[in-house]
Amino acid sequence: MASSTTLTQQKKPERSLSPWQIARKKFLKNKLAMISSVFIIIVTLLSIAAPFLAQYLSPLPDIAKVNIGSMNIPPNSEHILGTDKSGRDVLTRLFYGGRISLLVGFSATLMVIVLGTIVGSIAGFFGGLVDNILMRFTDLVLTFPFLVFVIVLNTILYGIVDGLWVLIIVIGILSWGGVARLVRSKVLAEKENEYIMAALSIGCSPFKVIVKHLLPNVASTIIVQATLIFASMIVVESALSYLGFGVPQATPSWGIMLSSANEPDVLQGKPWIWMPPALILTLTILSINFIGEGLKDALNPKSLR
Amino acid sequence: MLKYTIKRLLGTIPMLILISIVVFSLAKLMPGDSLSGEIDPLNTNPEYIEEMREKLGYNEPLPVQYFNWITGFVQGDFGKSTKYKTDVFDIIMEKVPNTLLLGVISLIITYILAFSMGMYSGRRPYTIGDNAIAGINYIMLAIPSFVAAVVAIYFFSFHLNWFPFGGSVDILIEKGSFEYYLSKLHHVLLPALVLGAMGTASYTQFLRNDIIENSRKDFVRTARAKGTPIRKIYNVHILRNSIIPLVTFLGFDFAALIGGAIITESIFTYPGIGMLFLDSVTSRDYPTLMALTMLLSFLTLAGNLIADLLYGVVDPRIRLD
Repeated sequence: MASSTTLTQQKKPERSLSPWQIARKKFLKNKLAMISSVFIIIVTLLSIAAPFLAQYLSPLPDIAKVNIGSMNIPPNSEHILGTDKSGRDVLTRLFYGGRISLLVGFSATLMVIVLGTIVGSIAGFFGGLVDNILMRFTDLVLTFPFLVFVIVLNTILYGIVDGLWVLIIVIGILSWGGVARLVRSKVLAEKENEYIMAALSIGCSPFKVIVKHLLPNVASTIIVQATLIFASMIVVESALSYLGFGVPQATPSWGIMLSSANEPDVLQGKPWIWMPPALILTLTILSINFIGEGLKDALNPKSLR
Repeated sequence: MLKYTIKRLLGTIPMLILISIVVFSLAKLMPGDSLSGEIDPLNTNPEYIEEMREKLGYNEPLPVQYFNWITGFVQGDFGKSTKYKTDVFDIIMEKVPNTLLLGVISLIITYILAFSMGMYSGRRPYTIGDNAIAGINYIMLAIPSFVAAVVAIYFFSFHLNWFPFGGSVDILIEKGSFEYYLSKLHHVLLPALVLGAMGTASYTQFLRNDIIENSRKDFVRTARAKGTPIRKIYNVHILRNSIIPLVTFLGFDFAALIGGAIITESIFTYPGIGMLFLDSVTSRDYPTLMALTMLLSFLTLAGNLIADLLYGVVDPRIRLD
């Protein structure tokens, strides 16, 4: 009996792990990245569930309503994080704020990655004149001082398109340059391989070669870059909202909540209003960066861990 | 090298023209007269507006208007501010020294912090101290600058009372006296500290890695064999080689400082270019806004150019042509 089981075990040769499985294993072992992932997942879930949670969190679940009777209450058992100058519950707003900040960050990242990948892969794959034109255009976009142009474009477009989307589109249009350069350089190196020539020689269209053969091999770089961009997009959104040029004032984003610290009175005497958004914003950025570093390590075949 | 410099300088000209066209188109998209500021926005008499439009050449075709605007701009004619009713050029020049001071002080702070941390880490890699420095740098990189600024004001200005929380100088002090400059320095220190501390991470890690790499090279072994003290090897032999690549960061810092200045200046209510820019947006002072946009784009371009050129000067191994 014993010998037959060993025989059957031998008959099934163990398949070696695929690159993605190796990456997953490495990532799961990275403690910092795992803790960060759990934190981000919790923040995301709480933000998504904000409308359902609001009624249990505080006696004032409506974040749009001004409650004159309960302005500037310090944290207590009823309002765990207190209320702000318009009498709105800080904890409830924090969850709603997460919705906006994460939504803007995610949409802008998606736009940046899609635009950058399209431009970068086309420029890298076709080369020559196409490459030259696209890359000069990218250079131009990269020379614009980012913050200056975001604010100017926002002022022009404001009122034409819905406030939140203005911001996402403007940020997206202005920041794809870096991704395009990165993808182009990767595609340039990758397209010299024989399998690309093989694919072309059996008559694959350029579109198919790019999508089916090139991009999957560049994907790991793009994923890592996307994570880091996601973090910076959240910072951009909150910084602009803080300055008053981001999402509309009535929208509760973390940046808008922080902007109440502009009043010396709030900054000095009522830290419960601005400290929670500052803390959660910093922790979120830090976690996303840790995840990005973890992914970079995990997806790099040369890393030892 | 000279050939490359000339080539690179010529290469920026089409870039400048393209940027100016973009700025011009944006200005035209803005409501009202956003380039010269000559038309009084409060006077809504159609005859007056029509007369002024004719006088200012707004009925000319767009390319002619663009040409007129750009020739004026190159000669320092930035139009008139609709808010202050004076030349935009004068308003900007009034604020430039403040921003320059902030930029220089914050760069000095960045260098001091980065050099002390980077040299420590590079000499003792993979120790507790090195890891702590890496951790601090990582956190500083992650904290958004405006959050850091708000927290800094909260602790240093309100609780410890070490620094004033706004403005660039005490109003009561007589201009030109010694106390005046001291007060200016006192006001600029906190924003500069915030702006400077944010930039240290990349410098520190770069310096650390470069020192570690250089410490394995042959010239270090030779120096050791000859009996040079370890301290001297690190502080003179290795540092000299490791400083060189850092020079190239300077150009990029230029561009980063512009963005940083907008945020920090507005939080610290520090009257510089960045605050003037935001102020011109909120008060709809479009001529000032467009002039600043053009100017800041130009500075960013100059920063990138300097970075590129320094790269070649510093490391002759890079083939430029």
